[in-house]
Amino acid sequence: MRMTTRRLTELALLTAAALIIFVIELRMPDIAIPGVKLGLANIITVYAVFRYRPGETAMLVAARILLGALFSPNPSTLLYSASGAALCLVGMLTVRKAIPARYIWLCSMMGAILHNIGQMTAAVLLMRTTAVLSLLPVLLLSGCIAGLFTGLCAQMLVTRLYKKPPHDL
Amino acid sequence: MTKKDPSRAPLIAVAVFVIVAALGSVVWLLVGMLRGADARRVEVVQGGNVLYTYDLATASPQTVRIEAPDGGWNEFTIADGEIRMTAADCPDQTCVHMGPLRAENLPIVCLPHQLVIRFEDADT
Ligand SMILES: [Zn+2]
Repeated sequence: MRMTTRRLTELALLTAAALIIFVIELRMPDIAIPGVKLGLANIITVYAVFRYRPGETAMLVAARILLGALFSPNPSTLLYSASGAALCLVGMLTVRKAIPARYIWLCSMMGAILHNIGQMTAAVLLMRTTAVLSLLPVLLLSGCIAGLFTGLCAQMLVTRLYKKPPHDL
Repeated sequence: MTKKDPSRAPLIAVAVFVIVAALGSVVWLLVGMLRGADARRVEVVQGGNVLYTYDLATASPQTVRIEAPDGGWNEFTIADGEIRMTAADCPDQTCVHMGPLRAENLPIVCLPHQLVIRFEDADT
């Protein structure tokens, strides 16, 4: 399907919004555990999953991650975040049609868990040791909480921002 | 709105996945806390190689500097029966901010330098 200028502009705006959220979150104090963060920029990802086509959402997320790495103090974490985001996106795009709008938070929780599993897989492969695996339960639990929070935000956006039905998906 | 149809299966699958992950990690954490209470043996692992192992109960106070393959460095210190990352030149400094090693399920990790300090055999 052809992408109209309007849609391209919307996606560019969403990417910019996600990037701004990402940069603001970088400035917030750390929860000194590697891989643990709220991931507020994922509000935009979850929103896009339910409002745009899979290819458009994938483009948005890829642009956000690549541009985000430019602002990150630690660009070497790009591989971890990219692996996490890819797994998260594949999971959410697979089930999104079967998820009613009032269960978006659940889909987001699943996405966050998949994100952490993807990150951890990348860490095990890159560091060539399973020693980091002992961090997984902490990551999964924090993923559940973060995913619930960002999911509820995205759900509010999806259900309240537009009264008209979503774009043809 | 609530009528049953086959398309609910994925929703239920997602719910089960989330519940299993959440409960599983809680149980895993609790087990780790119970077992980690008397764990004293720690190991320092870099990129798949165990560089050092210590018994925190008997190890003499010391500071050790480790060079990372990419030219960076980390410095850990053993004192008062605790081990912690005291300095590093990694950009995020998360490993330093993590403080002393406390739990089996919370290893000190420096992602940029591929360094892990943890209690021994945490995953066996
Ligand atoms: Zn570090």
